[in-house]
Amino acid sequence: MSENNYLQVDHLVKYFGDDRAVDGISFGIPEGKFLTLLGPSGCGKTTTLMCIAGLHKPDAGEIRIGSDPVTSIEKRINTAPEKRNIGMVFQSYAIWPHMDVTQNVAYPLEIRNMAQSEIDDRVAEALKIVGLTDMADKNATQLSGGQQQRAALARAMVFRPRLLLFDEPLSNLDLKLREQMRVELKRIQHEIGITSIYVTHDQAEALVMSDEIIVMSKGHIEQTGGPHNIYARPVNRFVSNFIGVANLTEGRIVGNGGGGAGAIEISQGGESVQLPCLLADGLSEGDDAYLSVRPENVDASRKPMDGPRIEGEVIQSVFLGNCLDCRVKWGEFEWKVLAHSRERLRVGEKVYVRLDPDHTLAVRP
Amino acid sequence: MATDTAAPQIDVAPPRGWRTWFTQENIITTIVGLIVAVAVIVPLVALVINSFLVLDDLGFDTEWGLQNYRDIFHGHVIRKALVNTAIISTGCTILATLLGVSLAWINARTNCPFREQLEPFNLIPFFLSPFVGAIAWHNLASPKVGLINNMAKTAFGIDFPLFNVNNLWGVIWVTGIFFAPLVYLFVVGSLRRMDPSLEDSARTTGAGLFRTTMTITLPLVTPAILSGAIIVFVTTAGEFGVPFKLSAPFGWETLTTQIFTKAVGDDANHYLGAAMSMVVGVVTAFFIWIQHRIIAPRSYTTVTGKGFRPNLIDLGRWRWLAFAYNLSYVCVAVFLPIICLFFVSLHKIWSGRIIWSELTFWNYQKVLFFWWPESIQAATNGIINSFILAFGGASIAMVVAIIVSYMIHRTKGFGARLLDFLSVIPIGFPGIVLAMGVLVTYIRTPIYATLWILLLGYITRFFPYGQRNISSIMMAVSEELDQSSRMAGASWLTTLRRITIPLLKPGIFAGWILLFVIFLRELSISIILYSAGTETLSVGVYYLSNFENEPMTSALSIAQTVALLICIVIFRKVAGKEALTA
Repeated sequence: MSENNYLQVDHLVKYFGDDRAVDGISFGIPEGKFLTLLGPSGCGKTTTLMCIAGLHKPDAGEIRIGSDPVTSIEKRINTAPEKRNIGMVFQSYAIWPHMDVTQNVAYPLEIRNMAQSEIDDRVAEALKIVGLTDMADKNATQLSGGQQQRAALARAMVFRPRLLLFDEPLSNLDLKLREQMRVELKRIQHEIGITSIYVTHDQAEALVMSDEIIVMSKGHIEQTGGPHNIYARPVNRFVSNFIGVANLTEGRIVGNGGGGAGAIEISQGGESVQLPCLLADGLSEGDDAYLSVRPENVDASRKPMDGPRIEGEVIQSVFLGNCLDCRVKWGEFEWKVLAHSRERLRVGEKVYVRLDPDHTLAVRP
Repeated sequence: MATDTAAPQIDVAPPRGWRTWFTQENIITTIVGLIVAVAVIVPLVALVINSFLVLDDLGFDTEWGLQNYRDIFHGHVIRKALVNTAIISTGCTILATLLGVSLAWINARTNCPFREQLEPFNLIPFFLSPFVGAIAWHNLASPKVGLINNMAKTAFGIDFPLFNVNNLWGVIWVTGIFFAPLVYLFVVGSLRRMDPSLEDSARTTGAGLFRTTMTITLPLVTPAILSGAIIVFVTTAGEFGVPFKLSAPFGWETLTTQIFTKAVGDDANHYLGAAMSMVVGVVTAFFIWIQHRIIAPRSYTTVTGKGFRPNLIDLGRWRWLAFAYNLSYVCVAVFLPIICLFFVSLHKIWSGRIIWSELTFWNYQKVLFFWWPESIQAATNGIINSFILAFGGASIAMVVAIIVSYMIHRTKGFGARLLDFLSVIPIGFPGIVLAMGVLVTYIRTPIYATLWILLLGYITRFFPYGQRNISSIMMAVSEELDQSSRMAGASWLTTLRRITIPLLKPGIFAGWILLFVIFLRELSISIILYSAGTETLSVGVYYLSNFENEPMTSALSIAQTVALLICIVIFRKVAGKEALTA
């Protein structure tokens, strides 16, 4: 599998002082795909990106682009960033304020000693793709945040790099613009077809844009997979908690029906209940685990329902139009429930909670 | 599901590739870093070593010992100089702080009339030479030839001298008014950028205007005031020109004037001079360390990204008093000295009175016309040498400053921390102390008695000023601007040339002119390191003052002052109004 990958990172380690910021991670990405490194701040995602860019030198590991080993600490290879032919969009956009938009975008081509006519053509084409044709003569300081973002993208791709790297490029934009740019970025990446790596802490961004997501924390990879997979089948407590909203509570595996199906026992206030669930890889009977179920897969109703019985008290009920956002207290645990709005549950009512067994997961602690 | 949580733990003892180390960046920064390290550390080490060498009675041989230090603390003359230095520094600090804080408050926070016109004049003493200020005040207020005293005699028949600056009070007065802008610069920035809601919320709790100023505004700028006060204390302790002109001839020596006599002249004893320099240096370095480590980090972050428009306090009728106060400061610190020097310089002999019928430009011919056989060599050499040193020194120092700032802010690891440290050290040692170190280091090398040793002394002592100018911009400019150039395919040098330096341009110009000004008026390093033929402007002034007469001294002083004033105008044009208010 790793031979097919266009970019391959192997056993990457980077220290900052005594802090192991990146702790021996490995991953790859096929040509033309869009990979996102997702995680909270300090998880090592930006450091990983900087190592790929060549702006940081890792302490161990290998990075290969195509058949070109750009970094191999063992073989004492560490190609200078300018020799890697990688385009990068920075968090602050890094549009040079002493140049206008055209000069900014033309810069990488001038460095490569291209003919002026070719530079003009390429800059015009790049500006067209990002929709900045009208802004070509504007000074960098006259651009809005979104426009600077587009100019930075044009500058990063104008020299047709082997890779495009994005370091939280949308985090400085306001919400509306951010949502618009997500779609736009994805469209442009698809159009030019350059293999891309995107770093973000915003899970919504990652879910919308990526072909593949790598969830990181504390320098480790927690889970790798497509957006749907990451959301629907988190493998551990961290991923379940970090992506979307989940009910998470401690339990123990009590049954393993094979084929990934099983049962988990959870207890609250002396009351325990066994729930059918899907088991994450590596969990077997008797293991400590966490129950993970998204609020939309939990229902609450006044009448008892089939299956395991969980009875609790509504302590919060907010009408959202299409559904009710409820909290149901069961022992010390509060279930987050998105209930049918026709249920009209009121605070203080006794209700029965039912979990959808097809979307109830047992995940690693 | 391709998870990788079980990634093997790799024990990192990676073989470092020594060949990959030889990049443009590493080679250039390492070379510059090493040069800076040698230039800063070697003179100080030499100073320490020499201070423990004791000259025997015949003056030929030396042996290790503590006798130099015993002489300082027990010898009558030197101990008195130590006490005088402490009195002057303390007095000057009090005066300069009172002046600086009050003027800054008037300019930044009140509706004092014409404050925008007055502000540039408040800063002029910062650029001028305190030595020249001392010469001017000598001619204004010494008992016999003082212009003010003689005018008082003529006008009111006052028989006794009204003022006498030829003593410690005179030194405190002149250094106080000349160093007040240092405090002013520290405080005015904090006052201007203070979040007005801090004061507004005090007002809403019922505190009056005066009470708010005393309990909120001033406490908030206390760290800035303390920083300014410490800088003034240290600067005064290392000040040579003012006590040399005003108090030393009348028996009040200071450590700096004593160091001078031990460095040059018949009584020279470099080892004792080194020991005295050590005493001054240890004290000043300690205070700078306090300022750097304890006070500067406590500066309250009243600064946010927003452009505040601080509340202006309506002084009512009192605003004219504030105006008069500020105007008097400008008069005693700028106008009176310059006007006095000008008139003195137009006389062949100065007797303390303006004699309108005898005004002449003869003195200017003597000190400026370097092609004229009768011109005074020390003065004309000084002008030429100072311009060479100022131009070359400012240029080289700025190159060093750029590379050092780059290393401090754009690289990590030991080298960056070391340079950060090294670029504070010269600030902690007065020019005369560092010059003493340079002297004992290089006295037996060919660069002694050339302009090179002066250049080395200037750059070593003052490159941190340029470096601070660059650093403040470099911190504001995102590193990503450099990195994106690398990613676009540009090498380190190309990035430096096309991105980093163009972005730093305003800071480079401002720093260059600041250093040019400092070098053009530099006295305390030059006085130790010059020799016949390598006089500088201020050394020329010193020479005329010692061996010629007051009018000629005044003529060269005016020439220097005019050159400095031109630089100030250029500085304000290039750097903008806010450039100095850090």
